[in-house]
Amino acid sequence: MTVRQTRRSGPSASGDHFVLWQGPSVDLTQQRRRMGERVIKAFLVGAALLSVVVTVGIVVSLFAPLTEFFSHVGIGEFLFGTEWTVGFGNKASWDDKSWGVLPLVTATFVMTAIALLVAVPLGLGAAAFLSEYASPRARKILKPILEILAGIPTVAFGFIALTVVTPLLGNIFQFNGIFNMLAPGIVMGFMIVPTVASLSEDAMSAVPLALRQGSYALGANRMKTTVRVVFPAALSGIVAAIVLGISRAVGETMIVTIGAGLQPKMTLDPTQGAQAMTGFIAQIASGDAPEGSPVYYSLFAVGSLLFLLTLLINMISIRLVRKYRQAY
Amino acid sequence: MTRAEHDTVTPADKDATGEIAQPPGHVEVWRGNEHSPVEGAPDGVITLKDLEVYYGDFRAVTDVNVQFGSKEITALIGPSGCGKSTVLRCLNRMNDLVPGARVVGTVAYHGVDIYGPDVDVIEVRRRVGMVFQKPNPFPKSIYDNVAYGPRVTGMKVDSMDELVERALRGAALWDEVKDKLKQNAFGLSGGQQQRLCIARAIATSPEVILMDEPCSALDPIATAKIEDLMAELAKTYTIIIVTHNMQQAARVSQRTGFFTAEADEMGHRTGRLVEFDTTEHIFGNPSDERTEAYITGRFG
Ligand SMILES: Nc1ncnc2c1ncn2[C@@H]1O[C@H](COP(=O)(O)OP(=O)(O)OP(=O)(O)O)[C@@H](O)[C@H]1O
Ligand SMILES: [Mg+2]
Repeated sequence: MTVRQTRRSGPSASGDHFVLWQGPSVDLTQQRRRMGERVIKAFLVGAALLSVVVTVGIVVSLFAPLTEFFSHVGIGEFLFGTEWTVGFGNKASWDDKSWGVLPLVTATFVMTAIALLVAVPLGLGAAAFLSEYASPRARKILKPILEILAGIPTVAFGFIALTVVTPLLGNIFQFNGIFNMLAPGIVMGFMIVPTVASLSEDAMSAVPLALRQGSYALGANRMKTTVRVVFPAALSGIVAAIVLGISRAVGETMIVTIGAGLQPKMTLDPTQGAQAMTGFIAQIASGDAPEGSPVYYSLFAVGSLLFLLTLLINMISIRLVRKYRQAY
Repeated sequence: MTRAEHDTVTPADKDATGEIAQPPGHVEVWRGNEHSPVEGAPDGVITLKDLEVYYGDFRAVTDVNVQFGSKEITALIGPSGCGKSTVLRCLNRMNDLVPGARVVGTVAYHGVDIYGPDVDVIEVRRRVGMVFQKPNPFPKSIYDNVAYGPRVTGMKVDSMDELVERALRGAALWDEVKDKLKQNAFGLSGGQQQRLCIARAIATSPEVILMDEPCSALDPIATAKIEDLMAELAKTYTIIIVTHNMQQAARVSQRTGFFTAEADEMGHRTGRLVEFDTTEHIFGNPSDERTEAYITGRFG
């Protein structure tokens, strides 16, 4: 394009609006110093950096003692051994103990599975009711009540598992002793119902009204609309809600410690008591674990495994959430 | 047939006069009287009598008496807020979903009041389908979108594949999607999505299709395709369309109803049907000056 220097300022008659400014000179450089903005930016960068540094610090201090631990215990022995007798015997000795972590992992798995069996149907049912069936007034009253459930301290839940649910279930099942995995699993399920329900409800409420109208206009009733249109459309958020529930169950400590006891046991039978991973960590960390002793190092091994499991769950969740995400 | 005292004649009277007994809930096709004349097509698939719709205490439309003709396209036009969508939503009871909405008067489908006590709304919506302003496909495959209506209404079909193909062909979409029926419907363009919604609506074999500004979210080329499609569909279906596009109404419809909302002395704005006639008449030689003002663009 050629610039014709001969033109005067102002819109040209030809309709071509490229105009060379010939009036007073214009200064478009920064006119004021914006200190406040810089301070705020520095603060925000600092906050972001600090949380990254702290996270990295936690991971490093969790993993660092592992070298010492695995110089005494084989990785295969740790991951696949079916006996865990770390709390027994001579505190200073590595050799008189069995280091198989599987009993702790199975106990965590069994109780999480029971919790999910309770929490997923109840949570999704509650979410569907709140989002699709309840009147706005009912929702306004019910949702806070549900969220109060999330605020109950987990010690209270553990206590309920031990003193209320176990005796009740004892009428049906044959428990040997007061500890079992069924009661804490069920109670933990109730504990995560609000998490699943609340997040799923948010996801379902976010489904555009137009989709529901489309479904009703085709002759679907409310139930079919909920199950066949709203659920699939909200699936991404529902998956995220369930995974968050799983993470909470896997990391839950008080309920499984109080309800399932401290006896490591390799079993899938929920009427048995068995120590979960978190239960072991709580027991040893609050009891006697002299620094540098084998038990002390085992804490880091179990802790790292727990961390990796949760990380894995979250990674799977992110993939699922992406896969099912819908763009409206 | 014209009857002066519609309200006082009950089915029992009809038996006494030797007429064939009608199923419960049956109302005679309303042909109007001197107080509330019915305007519209002579064969009245859907007849509205003294229709009045409230949202809570607010009266949105009143005094609508009209008859929609079979296998033709009826356009409803009028300025924003005059109650076109409100009236349209009465025809398949979509207003049931609006909290506080209340319908007074009669909406008769082949003489049966669809707001009658024995009427199953699902049966109504199967016969009177709807296409919305914004394409709203479900987050499912193209195939499942079309099969949705027949599935949820428990229609007995010999071959779902055939039904899906027929509906997609009917909506002039088959050739564009036949190789990707299992793909998510969100992958389609806006115009294709809207035709998918039309395919979805005709999959349940309705008699009437309601369309509320079906082209307002589409570009001119997609709009032209939908308009061609409507002309084609009108051979089989009765179509009632709300549109803001005057040219569209003039192009596609055989009859046009003009609504407007005028404030009364209290300042309440209530929509009314001003004029209903053949499209030719409305756009060529309207009887009411408000209609003329609107279509010539002097108002609205
Ligand atoms: N769900 C609702 N609740 C309350 N009032 C409503 C509701 N829907 C519509 N109205 C009111 O009813 C009147 C008619 O609305 P309607 O949507 O039928 O108009 P319309 O002719 O379709 O307008 P537009 O051309 O803008 O779509 C308006 O005054 C509107 O505010
Ligand atoms: Mg409208």
